[in-house]
Order: sequence, then C-alpha cells, then structure tokens
Amino acid sequence: MANLRTCLAFLFLCCSLCDAVYEDQVGKFDWRQQYVGKVLFAHFESHSQASKKLILATDKNIVASLNPRTGDLFWRQVDKAGPEGHIDTLLFHGQDAVVVTGNGRLLRSWESSVGALNWEMLLDPGSFLAAVLVGTQDSVKFVAVLKKATVSLHYLSNGHQKWTETLPDSDTVHYQAVYSSGGSQLFVLGVVPHSHLSIITFNIEDGEITSQRSVDAPWLSSIQARCTVVGQGVLICADASTLSLYMLPLSSEEPVGLQQVPLQSLDLDLALGFQPVLLTTQPNPARPPLAQFFLQLGPDHHVLLQLSDGHLSPLRDFQPAFLVSFATTGEKTVAAVLSPKNETACSVSLYSADSGRRLLDTTVTIHLDPNGGKPEKLYVHAFLKKDDSVGYRVLVQTEDHTITFLQQPGRIVWTREEALADVVTMEMVDLPLTGTQAELEGEFGKKADGLAAMVLKRLSSQLILLQAWIAHLWKLFYDARKPRSQVKNEVTIETLARDEFNLQKMMVMVTASGKVNWLKGEAVLLTLSLTLFGIDSKSGMVLWKHYLRNVQPNAVFKLMVQRTTAHFPHPPQCTLLIKDKETGLAALHVFNPIFGKKSHVTPPTLSRPVLQSLLLPLMDQDYSKVLLLIDDEYKVTAFPSTKNVLQQLQEMASAIYFFLVDASQGKLSGFRLRKDLSTELIWEVVIPPEVQKIVAVKGKRANEHVHSQGRVMGDRSVLYKYLNPNLLAVVTESVDTHQERSFVGVFLIDGVTGRIIHEAVQRKARGPIHLVHSENWVVYEYWNAKSRRNEFSVLELFEGTELYNSTVFSSLDRPHLPQVLQQSYIFPSSISTMEATLTEKGITSRHLLVGLPSGAILSLPKMFLDPRRPEMATEQSREENLIPYAPEMPIRTEWFINYNQSVTRVRGIYTAPSGLESTCLVVAYGLDIFQTRVYPSKQFDVLKDDYDYVLISSVLFGLFFATMISKRLAQVKLLNRAWR
Amino acid sequence: MASPGGHGGGAVSTRGGGGTRRMKWALELSLGNTRQFPVPSCRSRGDRQSSQGDTLYPIGYSDKPVPDTSVQEADRNLVEKRCWDVALGPLKQIPMNLFIMYMSGNTISIFPIMMVCMMAWRPIQALMSLSATFKLLESSSQQWLQGIVYLIGNLLGSALAIYKCQSMGLLPTHSSDWLAFIEPPQRMEIMGGGMVL
Repeated sequence: MANLRTCLAFLFLCCSLCDAVYEDQVGKFDWRQQYVGKVLFAHFESHSQASKKLILATDKNIVASLNPRTGDLFWRQVDKAGPEGHIDTLLFHGQDAVVVTGNGRLLRSWESSVGALNWEMLLDPGSFLAAVLVGTQDSVKFVAVLKKATVSLHYLSNGHQKWTETLPDSDTVHYQAVYSSGGSQLFVLGVVPHSHLSIITFNIEDGEITSQRSVDAPWLSSIQARCTVVGQGVLICADASTLSLYMLPLSSEEPVGLQQVPLQSLDLDLALGFQPVLLTTQPNPARPPLAQFFLQLGPDHHVLLQLSDGHLSPLRDFQPAFLVSFATTGEKTVAAVLSPKNETACSVSLYSADSGRRLLDTTVTIHLDPNGGKPEKLYVHAFLKKDDSVGYRVLVQTEDHTITFLQQPGRIVWTREEALADVVTMEMVDLPLTGTQAELEGEFGKKADGLAAMVLKRLSSQLILLQAWIAHLWKLFYDARKPRSQVKNEVTIETLARDEFNLQKMMVMVTASGKVNWLKGEAVLLTLSLTLFGIDSKSGMVLWKHYLRNVQPNAVFKLMVQRTTAHFPHPPQCTLLIKDKETGLAALHVFNPIFGKKSHVTPPTLSRPVLQSLLLPLMDQDYSKVLLLIDDEYKVTAFPSTKNVLQQLQEMASAIYFFLVDASQGKLSGFRLRKDLSTELIWEVVIPPEVQKIVAVKGKRANEHVHSQGRVMGDRSVLYKYLNPNLLAVVTESVDTHQERSFVGVFLIDGVTGRIIHEAVQRKARGPIHLVHSENWVVYEYWNAKSRRNEFSVLELFEGTELYNSTVFSSLDRPHLPQVLQQSYIFPSSISTMEATLTEKGITSRHLLVGLPSGAILSLPKMFLDPRRPEMATEQSREENLIPYAPEMPIRTEWFINYNQSVTRVRGIYTAPSGLESTCLVVAYGLDIFQTRVYPSKQFDVLKDDYDYVLISSVLFGLFFATMISKRLAQVKLLNRAWR
Repeated sequence: MASPGGHGGGAVSTRGGGGTRRMKWALELSLGNTRQFPVPSCRSRGDRQSSQGDTLYPIGYSDKPVPDTSVQEADRNLVEKRCWDVALGPLKQIPMNLFIMYMSGNTISIFPIMMVCMMAWRPIQALMSLSATFKLLESSSQQWLQGIVYLIGNLLGSALAIYKCQSMGLLPTHSSDWLAFIEPPQRMEIMGGGMVL
C-alpha cells in the first residue's frame, strides 16, 4: 500500500511540479556572493613580483585564498561556527598555511594553491596560547605550539609530533610566548603577574630543558601585549606606569636583570592613558627578528626604534600615523605607515626599515568613503621591481569590515564588503519611477495653474517621453551591433528605475558584525559595527552603504519601511530602530532606502527605554506610515507626530492594540491605546517560565494577501479558512531537556483579545524550532527526541462550511472557535531557517523555502504539508488534489532553488512579492548572499523563455496568405465555371 | 443536376430528335421564338415553362386537371397529422437525447460539451422561432393544443440540457463556485507588537 502511495505521489509530482532550472538559466535571474568575514590574519603568498594569492583567516572561522587581481575567492574552507572552529592563529610558510583552531584543539595545514588539507592533528587538551614556526639551519621544519601547561613541536611536513614537554610550575606561571630564532633553542616565556618573568629554553632536537631562569619584573602583568623579541634574541617590554622600555638578552647565561630605558631618554612621550604596543617582524622564522621595531605611543603616534649593540635609538617618529606594518621582499624589509591626509583621504608611505628613510615615489593615497569607517588594519605586500626598487600593494581593512586592495599610485584594485557576511535583517524596497515617468506623475501632483499652462506642460512631458523612447530605441540599436560580451549594464544610483514587472528592487540590508570574545564557550560581544547597505537585487551590486558609528555592542535592530516609492515626489523612507539592550534606550535612524542618505526628518528623542514598535497602516499627509514606539511606562510615542497624525490616532485609538511578550517571565500581555496615547492593559497570559520558556512569537506578515477565502472540497462545498489577522503563534520549549520529559508547546493566541484559540503539545520533542505562520496555517519544525529525527508539523485552521461574518473581521466578535487540523511528517534533514513564499495577490500557491545546513534552499510545496491529506485516497480527496498521506517528506534535488550555489551557514530567507503574480523574489543570507526568483505555480502569467515566436508568427502569416490565395483561386474558379 | 443553361439547351435540342448532337446553343427559328435559351442568367424554370406554354398552348390552357378546390376530409386529416408531427417533434427527440447523454458521460471534454451545446441550443432556437411554428400550425384545428405540446417538448429538451449541465458540474450551484468573488473581510482592529526588544 505504501508503495502504491509513493507511486501515486510520484506520478502526481511528475506531472504537476518542476522547479529546477535549465542549464541555460543558470545565473540568469540569480546571483550569489560569497564572503569570508572580518580578516584576522592575512598573508601574501609571493614567489615572484606578482603576488599569486592572498591567504586569509577570518573571525567567521574561515581560511580562504583570494585572487589579488580580482578579489575573487580561489578557495574557502569553512569550519564549524562558534568557538569550536575559532581560528587561533594562521602561520604561513611556502605553500603551507598552518592553522590552529578551536582554542588549540586542532592543528591543520592547508595547501595554499588549491585549498586541500595537507594534514590535521588533534592536539593535547589545554588552552592555546601561542604558536610559531621553528626553523633550523635556514629551513623551516617545525611548528611549536604553546599551551597552558605544555609545549609541543610538530613537523611542518606531516604534522607528526616531534616532542611534547610539560612546562614546570604551570599553575603559577602564565606561559604566554614562544620564540625561536633559527638556532637549536626554543624559548618559552612565562610571567607570574607582578612578580617575575620565567624563561625556559628547550632543545629543539629532543625537547630537553637546557636552561630555566627567572627575572624579577614586578611591573609586568602580561607578555602578549607588552613584550616582543627583537634582534639577536633581546626581549623588549614596554611599561606604561614607569614610562620606560625594558631589555633582556634571552640567551645570556649569566643572570642579568632587566635593563631599564626610560622613554624620556629617547625623547619620547607616551600619550595619556595609552598602553604602549610593540610591533616587530621576523621575516624568516629560521633567522632572528629584525633589530628594528615599532613602538606605538598613542592612537596616532608611532616610533621606529632600533636596537644596536645593546642600545636603543629612535630612527624616525611618525605622527600622525594610524597604522604601521612591516613587509619583506627578498632581503629588504620596509615599514609601511598609514597617516591621515585630510578628512576623506589617507596616505601610505614606505620607509626603509634599516634607516627609517622614506623611499621615493612610494606614496599611495587612499580615499575614504565618507559613509565608511576608518582604517583598522593594514597588510602590505612588498615586491622588488625590475630596477631593484621596492613596489608594494596594500590591503586595508576598515572599521566597517570593508577590505580594499590598492596598488601604486592609489588605484583601487578591488573592494570586498565583508560586513555582508553578517546580515541581521533586510527589507526590499521598490525602485523609483524613471525621471520621465516621475515627471508625468509630478504633473498630477502639482496644483493647477490655468488651462493653457496645463496643456503646455502635458505636451512638453509627452515630448520628453517620446525623446526618452527614441533614445532607448537608439541605444537598443547601438547595443545590438556590438558583440554581446561588450554590452555592460552599468548600474548606478542615477540610472536605477523600476522595470516593467517590478522585478528589480533595492535590497536594504542591515549588517551588524560584532567582535566576539569567546569566554568559556560563551560569546561576549566587545564591539559592534553596524553598516547599512543598499544592493541592487538584479546584479547584487552594492549601490550605497552607510556606516553607523557609536553603536552599543548589545544593540538590537528593527527595520521598517515607512514610506514606499509610490508617493512621488515624497522620497521613500526607512527607519531603523536601534536599541541598546543594556540601557534600553533606543535611537531611530531615518534614511532614504534608495540613496542611503540620512533623511532630514528629525526622529523623536526617546528619553525612556523602548519596549516595542508598531507600524500602523495609517498615513500622515506626507504618506508616511505612522510608527508607534511603546516605552517602559507603556506610553506611546508616534513618529511622525504631526497634528494630522495625532488627530487620526485619536479617532482610531480604540481599534489599535498591541501585545508584548516577556520571554523571561513567560508573560504575554495585550494593551489597547487610549486617546491620550497612554495604554491600558486588557489581557495577560502567563506561561509558567519554570516549566516552559517562550522561544518564538510570530504574527502574520502585514503585506500578505490571501486571495481565496476557503478551500473547495471534493463535493464542491467550501471549507472556509479562519483568516484571523490578529492571530499569534507562540512556541514554547520545556525547561526540562530530558529526552523523556521534554516537550514543545504551540499556542495560537488572538493578539487583540488574548483568547487562546488552540494549544498543542508535542511530547518528547525539542528545539530548535523553526516556525512559519501565514494565511490560516502554522508550520513548525522540531527535533523528535524519542525517534531521533526532525519532524514537520502543520496546523491549519478552518471556520467550517459557513462564514460567521464575510464582510468584516473583528476579533472581538468571533464566538466560535475554529476547527484545527494537524498532521506531522518526518523530514530527513535538520533545517537552518524557513520562510514562505509571498506573492502580490496571493493567488499563486505557496511554497515553503527551507534553508538546509548543507547550504541548499529547498522549495517545498505547501500541499505536502496539508493536514487534510487522507490516509486512503478516496474519490473526493482525488477530486481535491490531495496527496495521500505519507509520513516521510521527500527532499528532491530538483526542488533546490539554488542548484549548486550553496549558501553557507544560511541564517535567514527573505521573500518579497514582485509585480508579477507568479513570481516571488527570494534572498537567502548567511555567510553568502543568494538572490533568485521562484515561481511556485510556474510562470502562468509570462510567456516561456523558449516560446517559439518564429513558428507561431510564421504559421499565422502562412495561414493569412493561404487564405488570400485560396480566396483568389476560388473567385477565378467560380468565374470559369460560370462561363462554362 | 446539370446547370440550367445546359439543361435548357438540351431541352431544345432533344425536341428535334434523340440522336441530335448536343450544342452549346441554338436558335429555333421555326417556332418563331427569338429567345436565346443558353443565356447564363436564364435560370428560372417557371419562366421556361411559361414560354413553352406560350408557344404550345393558348392562354389559360392547362394540361393538368383542375384540382378540386373543395377541401376534402382526407386532406384535413393529413394537415392535422402533419401539424401533430411538428408539435411532437421535440418530444420524440428526447429519448434520443437521453441516449446521447448517457453515452457521452459526465467528463468535461470537447465531445460531451458539443453535445450539451447542441442539446441546449436546439430547444432554445425552437423557442425563439415559436411564432413561426405557430403560423405553421395555424391551419390545424387543434392549434393551441399542438402549440402547448410543442412548447412543452422544447422546454423538456432544454430542461434535459440543463440537467446534463448540472450532472457535468457546469452550473454554478455550489458555494465553491462563488468562492472567488468573496472579498477578503475588512480588518476592524490594528494589532502589532512582539517580544520585548
């Protein structure tokens, strides 16, 4: 029977659905962009003048190789997200990129040309502290890894461990640095804070401790930030409290103390409250580091110092200089210094590391985007030119995680917006009409000034239209002559215009990339950089970006479209609500989503912490929707708050309700607006937080339309849908996570009255739960702990065969509870995110877009998730096109809308309707961004791509001529017959 | 049937004798008639007969016996019968229609649809030309009865067609047929909110 069922289902599918793209459609409507995240470590692979590759390790746990010419990815290796895959360090030598991941869990070596894994070693447990390449006799052979209690040496060629040694007194001494200079010794430096420095020397050959000594250093708390080794094994430490540098030769046998060099003796002065930072370079791990090093004395003050014969001397003072870096090519080492030029530009210059002399003609000017961030990191790739002078390229990373690759004399080779790996939320906004269309529209907007003037205006605008049309035709003609590859559609903000079917839109993306510190597996956000992007949905080009400064690390965001482009000449308007979680205070950033410019509209100042916001369908006289902000005293602030709006609000107040969900207390409360913009509590539902916690609350999307109010049954009667626009789906998870006792609860609550319409409990189930709530159904996915599998469950609500009130829907007047149907299915994969397709009028059938951890996006027809699927197929169910129930939900590879364009770590899917009813625009974002169109019911309103215009028109013309000819023939024949 | 011109020529020539050659046209001067028979436009048979009558018989002569103008009883019966035939026509078709209906089945495809259209169209056409039919029945004594029978027959025919439509599901008699016209209900309350940010 089951066989027959699957057969039936299969047959049904074969004839009704086919979502896969054809080969020639690849990349026609879709695009994918791959990102790597914020760069932590970067190395240039350089064998010749042109750098072949750029090896990066990023905060997204990625090791990647970029093409320095184009900025494209050569390869990318994505490790597990979170602390488990965190990249501790990246060492690069020759063709090998050695990476320590997961706080010293794994040591890996990647082959840099193709990204293949050379080897992987599991390291001994213990938190990772440092790793260096170790060379002997001018060749690099080993990697030394320092952990809390051990130091180990691994072969670079195969990763095998040469030796591992336990460090003495590791519970008191904090070992923090490991150093080798090509000899047979390996130094491990440790510190007992505010007491002494401990130096242990190991023999590289057998790991034996050759010497061990301690030096008094009561001012020293940490080596990592303050100390470095320069020259022939001299440890240099900087101390802010005594304003001096300390020197100590590491390899000297006799017990020497730290030699103090006050900064004043070098004519240097430390900026107030600044911790000095030392920067050194070791071009070849088998040789000692350079004797020259940088000392940072202030945020924009660096000094190049030199150590020669045990004496420190300043070579050059750089002020102002934001960033410094060393680069080596052949035998030459240069220092690159980035200094500000003016408000919008910086310049990078090269200096000889040996002398501190400036190299001629080496200045690169970097123009900074006024809407971008400041430079944050500088990586320099130097190479020898043919005339033996030093040429270089720079990789600059700014605060908004843009990486720019520049070459002399300031030409930008490429730019990557790595912030887009952290999209938090997005909206799609219609593009504005073209200038001519707008001109025509504007005519109706303006006030009339006489008949003749109006006629003239109309004529002139028509003339402009005609002109534009001719120009368009000319362009078509002109482009047609060129070979296709040369025709480039340059997209700029100025040329942006809505297309015929509104398929091209502006994607407004909010990215928030935080600098995360992993503390015992818990993420602690240190900083947050918030950038807004405007991306053309057709090409994926970044059209504008806006970096917002001074955003608190714990901020949460909500993006709303207050005014669309439909109200020319008023500009469209988006509002981003930024709320700091700690203080609760919120700010509004109001901007134009097409140009990214900050709007001149002044948002209200919010003095009280904001709890929630609510975008009303009400509009003020400027057609901007009213945004209500509810503060912690349950008072409401309206934005915009003109007289008109306040008056409308007073009239409407009794019909405006809102609900707040406090997950920590398990409390849902509903409020009603009063005329004086205060609120009253009208209902409260408490879900005991000791038993279960609220994990998700979802209402319906505001722009969702439902065309059909019911479902046609087999006997041609109607089962009316329960389309409550105020319905909320609340999902809870049990606090007890034991396999036998865990459960998932689903509550359907009316948001106006607080009435619990339905509640369901799924026993032996666990999260994470993904939920979609739309029309009259709720689909959720959970983990079945008993059967150890993922399951989908669908709830559908029906009013019955009669409508209670077909003209208005009021939650306050619904005496009957709806009929609720539920069915569950086994899904063969876990899922990352889920969303439903959305079309303009809601006529097209719905699909669920499911993001899988594999990176595929599955377009699952909603009719598979239909609680009315019968156990046994009957005449009536067949009539209704119901597929007989089968517990297993298939995953068919044709349903992958992104074919082989996997979206790594997909976090969210956004759907937007287009101007065509059949078409829904989809954007999936995660580490990558993928945009495409889906046609859940196929393209019923568009002629197919392969529509045979030639055949049809030739048949038409042929028939037409055949008719003409046969008519003529018939006339001749009649005449002839008449003459017979 | 040969064209009238050819026929006329034939008639003239055959009069001369069975063995004469067929000609395209000929003048028969002996009869004192200058009319050219094979004129293409000369198509009327009555015209030719009258010309023959003119030439062969005196005016007013008829070679047929003069019919008895008094209406005979048998003829009346005949008219009556003929009228009843007309009146009962639609009723007689019903069994045939029933059979066709049964044969064509209830699936919606081109043939059953054509059948239904024919079945529906014929009675409607008949009902539309009711006055013409009544005129036809005027000569009958049972005119009204026949008219009513004819009407009932046609009504039955159209009822049958409607029944067929019904059984094929072509009539909007179910609530589902009106589903597409239901407007989405207007929303009385505005609601929003969510998790405390």
